[in-house]
Amino acid sequence: MQSDDFDDIPDLIPVIETSTVPKPPTEPANNSDGQKKIPVTIVTGFLGSGKTTLLNYILTEKHEKKIAVILNEFGESSDIEKALSINEDGALYEEWLELRNGCLCCSVKDNGVKAIENLMEKRGKFDYVLLETSGLADPGPIASIFWMDDDLGSDIYLDGIVTLVDAKYISQHIKDKKDDGAINEATKQIAIADRIIINKKDLLSESEMSELENTISGINSVATLVQTERSRVSLDFVLDIHAYDITDVNGLALQSQKINEHASTHVHPDKTVETICIQLDEPIRDVDLLERWIQTLLWEKVVPRTDKQQYQQHASSEEEQVVVLRLKGIITPQGGKERIIIQGVQDLYDMQAAGGSDSTDDDAGKLVFIGRNLVKVDLEQSLKKWLS
Amino acid sequence: NFIEMPTALCQALNCENTAKLECPTCVKQTISGSTFCSQDCFKKSWGAHKALHNLPEGVTYDPFPNFKYTGPLRPVYPLTPTRSVPEHIPRPDHAEDGTPHGELAERGDTNIRVLNAEEIEAMRKVCKITKEVLDIGAAAIRPGVTTEEIDAIVHQATIERNAYPSPLNYWNYPKSCCTSINEVICHGIPDQRPLQEGDIINLDVSCYFEGFHGDTNATYCVGNVDEAGKKLIDTARECLEAAIAQAKPGVPYRRFGRLIEEHATKMGFTTVRAFCGHGIHELFHGAPTVPHYANNKAVGVLKPGHCFTIEPMICEGTHKELMWPDQWTATTTDGKRSAQFEHTLLVTETGIEILT
Repeated sequence: MQSDDFDDIPDLIPVIETSTVPKPPTEPANNSDGQKKIPVTIVTGFLGSGKTTLLNYILTEKHEKKIAVILNEFGESSDIEKALSINEDGALYEEWLELRNGCLCCSVKDNGVKAIENLMEKRGKFDYVLLETSGLADPGPIASIFWMDDDLGSDIYLDGIVTLVDAKYISQHIKDKKDDGAINEATKQIAIADRIIINKKDLLSESEMSELENTISGINSVATLVQTERSRVSLDFVLDIHAYDITDVNGLALQSQKINEHASTHVHPDKTVETICIQLDEPIRDVDLLERWIQTLLWEKVVPRTDKQQYQQHASSEEEQVVVLRLKGIITPQGGKERIIIQGVQDLYDMQAAGGSDSTDDDAGKLVFIGRNLVKVDLEQSLKKWLS
Repeated sequence: NFIEMPTALCQALNCENTAKLECPTCVKQTISGSTFCSQDCFKKSWGAHKALHNLPEGVTYDPFPNFKYTGPLRPVYPLTPTRSVPEHIPRPDHAEDGTPHGELAERGDTNIRVLNAEEIEAMRKVCKITKEVLDIGAAAIRPGVTTEEIDAIVHQATIERNAYPSPLNYWNYPKSCCTSINEVICHGIPDQRPLQEGDIINLDVSCYFEGFHGDTNATYCVGNVDEAGKKLIDTARECLEAAIAQAKPGVPYRRFGRLIEEHATKMGFTTVRAFCGHGIHELFHGAPTVPHYANNKAVGVLKPGHCFTIEPMICEGTHKELMWPDQWTATTTDGKRSAQFEHTLLVTETGIEILT
């Protein structure tokens, strides 16, 4: 085994980045069906809202789970690698996510997703993954990345979005007017949140806090709110949210209850982004028609009309666009078939038959929208016409 | 001036460490992939490794001898030096530094471009060229020809038409087309392997002409191919045809996946999930994303003026993919074969026009 030219062995040199240096074999995550999938929670909020404090707390807290935290997300993605911090049973260590840029071209999965899957393939699965977005980010596109089709067989799934707000400054941020008339980031972050943490509560008086909660609920009436000081929340508040779980029928029932409560007790001060709920009168005869209505609303950003082809409808200007940021619904098709759950965030939506649970709620269904320029009456009429 | 590349792996047998060091002799001889984690591993591998140095002309090797390939196919290196494109031919942005800046700028954007009459004409031109080049490349397919030779022919035909071969340097891709043989699903890199009787090979050609990209591919038989292989190829073609048959304004992009998956399943095959069709115009790859499987959340409906590809990959066994260490070649995880067909399509007022 000994070679006689050991003397000729040159010293290794550091690797040079060239186009022909092959990168390591990256096997796809083990997509064996039936195996446990790992939830990904997106944590968003402005600089100063306490995101980092929350995530550091999660990273150092003692618990029996293996939680991975990715700070400051994938950004512009010219990085080849990204640090990921892991808290395993209270011990903190770091790993590296290898982000390949090649072959992105016709890949359905984002390279950030693949990087996480590859890491879990090598180092074992986490129990949870938390992903922090940068402060001024619009969390919508990131949600889209992680809300993958089941058929892609990914080991990870989008569990929910947690937004932190700074009690003192958030009201200001919400009022921010953008040059192009688009919805500002603070409002978006609240609108698509499933959990909202109002941080630094000690800085507000009781009446100020009450007003703030009112404002936030006005935008998003379905998210669960909690108030904290110094980002201290129970881990249970940010984990196992199941916001995109199509089997969570009861979750939606609870949420629509909240909307009704809110609508009945509060008047919206300023109609920019708000939550509306449309109650359906009767079971849906043609589910495909409903789907086209949703597509038209979501993608053409108009109140759907029956006198024009679906694909020929456009909003006249960006400000007039009906922008749906979040959509949830449950509908009953005619003929005693399984109820259908609808989920949507930004442009993405999905409709799937809900398993089992026969809700005591006898109704034909409801649709919840969070967005801008949503006029409940117009939408109700449009839907009625469309379905008839 | 050395940039650390922490993602390379140590080439020593049974070592899984990441490698930040490289053999200096290999670097001098432009032999790629000789990465090791330590001088120790390097010493242990020296006996076999030094055989790579000073390879006489005509000697070939497998650049990843320790890789667990899923099927019989092996890469045959060395690759020939990067082919050049004459100065006068306009280049896409990625020709410069490998990065398609235009695409990155639109990343995450689901808005689909609507092309005007002028732009549509440009697409017709580039797609005609692309189709011609594919036919020329395909004509060279026969046992004994290496995929390098086909790449040279494709490259030559492309530049003769004053076009730039889009794949060249796209994210640092080293060649001018993709040649995917047998168990390779897509993005196979042309190398020194001679085609063998019985192979099936997909040739994927894309050209950039006067500011626009065209993209097409087809799977061909090398000599006599067995019945199962022919059925696979026919099915892949039929899947594409089935999807195109239903394309017209108002149809949602998510529909094609169902049509493709249904036909493939009916014929006893599976359809690849990981790769999709895409919008194509001034960008090589843009919105929309067109998945080839049934339950997908593709955004958008077809509207007149949209240009996009559908490119189903159909497999004998599993649809799951495994990437070779070259970071491009995607093979099936069970080593069974895969076939593909692709067209660039234009949505017209009344239906669809196949541009390639």
